[in-house]
Amino acid sequence: MKKQILSFTLVLFSLLSFAQTGYEKVMKEKIAKIETCKTPEDFQVLANDFQRIAEKEKGKWQPNYYAAFSYIQKGRVLMRENKLQSLDEVADQAQKYVDEAQNVEKNAEIQLLQKMIYSLKMMVNPMERYMTFGMKATEQINSAEKLDPNNPRIALIKAEDIYFTPEQYGGSQKKGIEFFKQALEKFDSYKPKTDLDPNWGKAEAEYFLNQAPK
Amino acid sequence: MKTKLLFFFSFFFSILNFAQVKISGKVTFKNKGIAEVNVTLKDTYDGATTDANGNFSFETSEKGAQKLTFSHVKYNEIEKQITIDDQDQIINTELKEQINEIDAVVVSAGSIEASDKKRATALLTPIDIYTTAGADGQISSALNFLPGVQKVGETEGLFVRGGTGTESKIFMDGNLINNYFSSSVPGIAGRDRFNTSLFKGNIFSSGGYSALYGQALSGALMLESVDLPDQSSYDFGVSPIFLNGSFQKLSNSKNSSYGASLGYSNLNLMQKIFNFNTDFMDAPQGFNGDANFRIKTKSGGFIKYYGMFDTNTMGVKTESLEPEYDFSSVKLKGKNTYHNLSFRQKFGKYLLNAGTSYSYNQSDLKFSTEKNNVEGEESQLLNDGNYINFKAVIDRKINKISALRGGFELNYANEKLNFGAVNKNYRDLISSAFMETDLGFSNHLSAKIGVRAENSSYLNKTNIAPRFALAYRLAKDWTTSFAYGLFFQNPESKYVNSSTNLDFQQSQHFIFQVQRSTEGRSLRFEAFYKKYDELIKTQSINPNSNQNQQIQTAFSNNGDGFAKGLELFWRDKKTFENIDYWVSYSFLDSKRDFLNYPVSLKPNFASEHTISAVAKRFIPKWKTGINFSYTYAKGRPYYDIITQNNMNIIRHEVKLKDYNALNLSFNYLPNLGKKDAKAFTIFVLSISNVLGTKNVYGYNFSQSGNRSSTVVPPVNTFVFVGMFISFGVDKTQDAINNNL
Repeated sequence: MKKQILSFTLVLFSLLSFAQTGYEKVMKEKIAKIETCKTPEDFQVLANDFQRIAEKEKGKWQPNYYAAFSYIQKGRVLMRENKLQSLDEVADQAQKYVDEAQNVEKNAEIQLLQKMIYSLKMMVNPMERYMTFGMKATEQINSAEKLDPNNPRIALIKAEDIYFTPEQYGGSQKKGIEFFKQALEKFDSYKPKTDLDPNWGKAEAEYFLNQAPK
Repeated sequence: MKTKLLFFFSFFFSILNFAQVKISGKVTFKNKGIAEVNVTLKDTYDGATTDANGNFSFETSEKGAQKLTFSHVKYNEIEKQITIDDQDQIINTELKEQINEIDAVVVSAGSIEASDKKRATALLTPIDIYTTAGADGQISSALNFLPGVQKVGETEGLFVRGGTGTESKIFMDGNLINNYFSSSVPGIAGRDRFNTSLFKGNIFSSGGYSALYGQALSGALMLESVDLPDQSSYDFGVSPIFLNGSFQKLSNSKNSSYGASLGYSNLNLMQKIFNFNTDFMDAPQGFNGDANFRIKTKSGGFIKYYGMFDTNTMGVKTESLEPEYDFSSVKLKGKNTYHNLSFRQKFGKYLLNAGTSYSYNQSDLKFSTEKNNVEGEESQLLNDGNYINFKAVIDRKINKISALRGGFELNYANEKLNFGAVNKNYRDLISSAFMETDLGFSNHLSAKIGVRAENSSYLNKTNIAPRFALAYRLAKDWTTSFAYGLFFQNPESKYVNSSTNLDFQQSQHFIFQVQRSTEGRSLRFEAFYKKYDELIKTQSINPNSNQNQQIQTAFSNNGDGFAKGLELFWRDKKTFENIDYWVSYSFLDSKRDFLNYPVSLKPNFASEHTISAVAKRFIPKWKTGINFSYTYAKGRPYYDIITQNNMNIIRHEVKLKDYNALNLSFNYLPNLGKKDAKAFTIFVLSISNVLGTKNVYGYNFSQSGNRSSTVVPPVNTFVFVGMFISFGVDKTQDAINNNL
């Protein structure tokens, strides 16, 4: 009988724990995938996964955040492949989820995504768009930084911008590296509020630092 | 044992409960698999994304009645009811295409879309125009490097596909601009009076354009003025030719702005340095100013005002062709003002665009002669024109890519001409109504059908003009379109000098286009046929025997003509890093019997072959842009036609030599990227006609016809240097810093 009860509780417990942690479990599983995605298709699959979660879990900002982030990463891969014309569409998709996330919560992490969306839109035609989207992007990152000065991801994106800006325009790889170092320091001290909050970017900062001539 | 069994059973039960069922299938559109479709078991985390062949597969432990959804940006979402039991399931689905503004083909035969809309046909933004060598920052000159526009140096205006300069009309936010070009003297073209940076984009149509526009037999240039500025700023421009200053103030709420500018130009200094062909007694001089405000209303409306004034003077002296005089001269005084007020607001499904404009032009020409340093009698040609336009358009969206719009337009003109004994007062009110529909059938097929009706009070006649265009997507990057239209235009008032009964002139356009646009590259091929009817025929009357100035007067609408041709355009921003180049070629075959032509002739403004190339390269390291352009146009004909015994006869026929010009320009931006710079500066050096080719635009003949001289550009090679400074928060550079 004892065993009976034990096994019964065990089953019950497993059922219960499954129900309790289903959301967290699936989120953690998908968040872990971010690091392994490489192609635009990979990121589209991931975006769809997060979209599914977002639809079920209305009232949570993280699933929407990650759906938008997946689209943005897809856009950034496309940008590196020089497929600039498809960026508008990808950015518009990302915008949908950023808007959803912002309906639930307003924070610096979501603002940073908004900045990245504007940057993608600018890249479609930098000559024509830097006066509009370029400026909006600048406004966003500045206000995100004010809101959360220690956020390492904001520091990372700033560092990347400087890294890729030619010297004549006030950037340089050398300067960029300095900023990556600062970003890395922030990564080491910054603790996300929960396990599901954004925690990406450290590997990217390390990647750039490894590129630097020693 | 019992416990063991129970344990086993409960364990089994739990497994059974979580037993996963596989759901798989294929998602297709027109029997082809679609990738990246999001397949979701509604309200669960379960689902999958289709692979490149449209296949998907996922496992779920859900049971019973469920909903399976299929979604993709480009297709309509589908929801399927399914019941999950213990069996694996295969569910195949066919999706329907979603009609969407980005993918839908846009009717574009004859037009070149040039604003920052999400289309690859985008062309000639303000930056494009400023960096086109040889365009002098003028919109109309930059358009000379596009197919279909003829290189005509002696007269202002856009000469499109065998049409005269007055057959193309220019619109600002939908309103006709009656005095786009500055006043000019015979043989020297007027210049654009509107600053290129006033307009965020332009749509240039070389034929087959929408029913919203009328009174232009050949082409329409629709300029879209800028909205609110991004920041407050002060700008200054300095060069040996001009000085100007302007400011724009953006309100703190960013809902309104105002600004003004003043400018002064004088060619005197350059005349001392360069060897001008034209002998200016009074160097061209001009004074201009403008003001604007833009307000976004609380209810979502947008009000824009732009107003400007401009005066210009010049005097030109030439050796007289007449044996009894040494010199003949002409002095010009021009005065212009233009005001444009427009309003735009959305009311539910309706969008209202209304605008009104007022223009006043005065051109005062004084002709005289000189013999042994004694000036002869002066004769004056004074033109005064007052113009008022009003236009309202209501637009209703039917679905994402279909719309219906209609409206009306009133154009009132009151012109006075004084020339010796001639005193003319010309008044005309043209009332127009138009209706147009955009029909999107699918992402591959769309049509535009329109009609326009006009009544002219002067002619006391009415016309009805149908317009039609069809576009079809052949393949992913390839589109093709066809356009047809009937166009009417009143006889130019300068030819209306007697009480003859006249009618509208008309032209019909047939345009076929194939276009390929891919990332950074576009290729356009266009073939057209244009038929002219009811063109006016003129004779010269009352020739003022002292000068070469004759007055042409229209006596009938018996003229006609045609123009047909092929055009090719290639633009590539991708192949070479930091280089943007385009090449265009136009073939034009045209004949006309109009004005004083005694028979059907190749018009004197139509060149059979025109080739132009533009290339721009920005070198980030030097903060410098290098721009180059080249134009070749086969020699045009020139006719010396006189009226004798009420008959027009060709006294001389000359073929001009081929036109060639190579232009270069450099832009240097020293403060680019400097964080602490307070001002943003651009230095410009441009050299037009670097090789100094001696181009000829036409001829002048003496009264007797025995002596002639060439009409040439005021200067062969011209060098321009200038500096433009902009003070204000230089966000440009912040933007670059943060986004490249």
